[in-house]
Amino acid sequence: MEKLKRFVRKNPAFTVFFLLALCVIGAAVFAPALVTHDPYEAVLADAVQPPGPEHWFGTDRMGRDLFSRVIYGARTSLSASLALVCIIMTAGTILGILAGWFGGILDAVIMRISDMMISFPGMVLALAVAGILGASMKNAVLAIAVVSWTKYARLARSLVLKIRERDYIAAARVTGSRTSHILWSYLLPNVLPTILITGATDIGSMMMEIAALSFLGFGAQAPTAEWGLMLNEGRAYMTAAPWLMVFPGLAIFITVVVFNLLGDSLRDVLDPREERQEPGLGRKENE
Amino acid sequence: MRQMKKITAVLLAGALAAGLAACGGSPEDSGKNGTVSGSGGAHLNFSCYSYSNSMDPITNVNSSWCFVRYGVGECLFRFDENVNVENALCDSYETEDYTTWVLHIREGVKFSNGNPVTPTVVKESLERLYQAEADKTGNSTPSQYVTFASIEADDQAGTVTLVCSSQTVGLPGILAYPWYGIVDTGVIDSEVIGTGPYRVADVQENSSIELVKNEYYWDGEVPYDSITIYLTEDSSTKAMALKSGDVDLVENITTPSDLAELEADPQYYVSKTAGVRLGNSYFNFHGVLGNDALRQAILCAIDDETMCNVTVGGMYTPGCSVLPSSLPYGSEQLTDAYSYDPERAVQILDEAGITDTDGDGYRELDGQNIHLNYLAYSSRNLDEFAQAVAISLEAVGIGCTVTVQDYDTALANQSAGDFDLITSNAIVVPTGDPTGFLGNFYSGNSDTYGYYVNEEYDALYEQLLGSTDEEERLGLIIEMQQILIDDAATLVHGYYNSTFASRADVVAGAEITPMDYYWITTDIRPAE
Repeated sequence: MEKLKRFVRKNPAFTVFFLLALCVIGAAVFAPALVTHDPYEAVLADAVQPPGPEHWFGTDRMGRDLFSRVIYGARTSLSASLALVCIIMTAGTILGILAGWFGGILDAVIMRISDMMISFPGMVLALAVAGILGASMKNAVLAIAVVSWTKYARLARSLVLKIRERDYIAAARVTGSRTSHILWSYLLPNVLPTILITGATDIGSMMMEIAALSFLGFGAQAPTAEWGLMLNEGRAYMTAAPWLMVFPGLAIFITVVVFNLLGDSLRDVLDPREERQEPGLGRKENE
Repeated sequence: MRQMKKITAVLLAGALAAGLAACGGSPEDSGKNGTVSGSGGAHLNFSCYSYSNSMDPITNVNSSWCFVRYGVGECLFRFDENVNVENALCDSYETEDYTTWVLHIREGVKFSNGNPVTPTVVKESLERLYQAEADKTGNSTPSQYVTFASIEADDQAGTVTLVCSSQTVGLPGILAYPWYGIVDTGVIDSEVIGTGPYRVADVQENSSIELVKNEYYWDGEVPYDSITIYLTEDSSTKAMALKSGDVDLVENITTPSDLAELEADPQYYVSKTAGVRLGNSYFNFHGVLGNDALRQAILCAIDDETMCNVTVGGMYTPGCSVLPSSLPYGSEQLTDAYSYDPERAVQILDEAGITDTDGDGYRELDGQNIHLNYLAYSSRNLDEFAQAVAISLEAVGIGCTVTVQDYDTALANQSAGDFDLITSNAIVVPTGDPTGFLGNFYSGNSDTYGYYVNEEYDALYEQLLGSTDEEERLGLIIEMQQILIDDAATLVHGYYNSTFASRADVVAGAEITPMDYYWITTDIRPAE
């Protein structure tokens, strides 16, 4: 308990954002208990009603309760972006470590593929992949994964290149450790903090990308409650019924901000070398 | 000092942002707004959906429509605002047996490049159309409506003699269909030249088309010196372009909220017409929807009044028959056998033994969960209908997944029979007569429309094809409509209302006609 208190006192920003992120995740997990209506139940005659006591966020064009759909949207968006980040983090890290450690032809192949991937605008390539695979949430996640793993691969590779010449690695080699043991016990733990921080800050941007694909019609399909798709559905009513865009938009905004700040503060926690300097102790002004 | 630096930084950032924003402005912003072009003549900015990049009538249906819609080309005949056929490039015709038709080509008419329209050119233009269909260089299928045993041109007499392969009562109406638009065959390999009031000056694919006045136009004064057509996919974008003044005229705002705003604002003039377009969904009779009770229940489960008036905001007028109630085909004599009644829908399903036995919320047919594959495309609110239908069907325990596809993919799937339900929006009197459309349900043609078969209907259709008596035809058409209703042959959503919206202080005469082959006409002119 005392330890926890000390941690909180030391990392107030992280604690706040962690709690906020918990709230967002909680909203997704306990969505059925939070909503006031079935998010998929439509009363066609009650379409596009403004926010009021019956429908807190109003209703959409099919007469569905927008509040309930926004809350349920957290499930779709969060699970998709978490799954996406896990996929690209795992795949990218493994490929990066392999490339960095073994070098040679393997390195060349992996890195050239990664070069090819980053030489395209990511979103355009994702659109093409989603277009070929067909529009669905699963394919949208795949499409973004295909273009986003490179970041982790390059990061992991450069970290491995830095570490592999260290003395303790040389020592491990000299003492006859197996390659798999070195990779697993020496390289991975050294690479992981940086990768995790990058992953945490990526949740927000991945959520944006998934929402963007859904907005363009390549991700979630109607009638799924997904924020990007809801934005697109509300787009036609932007001036007449702005709440159709405002609430899903706010949901994306808040969630992305929370996860981005969480990622930032996680860096402060995991990377003690970059401890914040006290204000006033920074560079002296030349006054 | 420190404060000063901060302020400077903020100002610099602001200036940078403003600079970037300024760079984003469109080059069209300068000088082209309003009705005056760069050269000082009258100019119109028109925004429309792009159905095709081609304007050659042989390419496909949409390209032929663009040819006529953009005011570039004309046919021998045209439809007036009451869907009556009137003479255009042909100024008189004779026929004795409805097989041999002698058409007199209007004298003195010139193409927009100055070449004269002679009977020989008309003959060549029609022959080229059929040739393209025969050797598959074009996707237009003119033989769908009429085939000719021979086409003869007599330049001396100024006539073209058409001998139809069979008796064809409504030939003028057929020849008013955009496929049969007359092009200058002498130059067709390099450009598409017609006799319309405007001529194509420049085409930026999927972006814009520049038209200039046809100096040789035969039918009155051409009001604009130049027209820019902006090709805009999205209805809201069109509405916003109109509101911002970037364009003066737009066709078919399909977003109800935007249309309502424009209608309420006296700055804009919205022309709306009870359309001749049917919005419907075809059932695939080769799938689970071959089951009569299931189709009947679907019709009963769908609240088309609410869908037309609320879901699509009045863009459609509800109805039960395939022919719009605004056309004189006896809609008042028809009875809707399966009007909206969700309880009856449930009852029909229960009685037919289509029930949910495993408690998963979906009814089963022959031991399998019913899960309909509903294809839609986003044109003219069809995707909204599909979603509303799917929601209504879920409510009575029929699973339904809507897949919104682009038009070509959806059509390919329709032809392949790869659907349970597919949306459609089509003109039901494309040649001024519903016979062709009713043929979609004739067993000889219905393969691409869901394989509907009814022998009685087939017999009536064949009788209709051979009939020349107006009264008899009307009786047959009414009878056929009732059969389609009783058979639950298709899911009728409603009849589409076409719209034109214009800036009232800039444009006058922007009226949409029921036959929406005509967008840019000489009636559209600068406001006084």
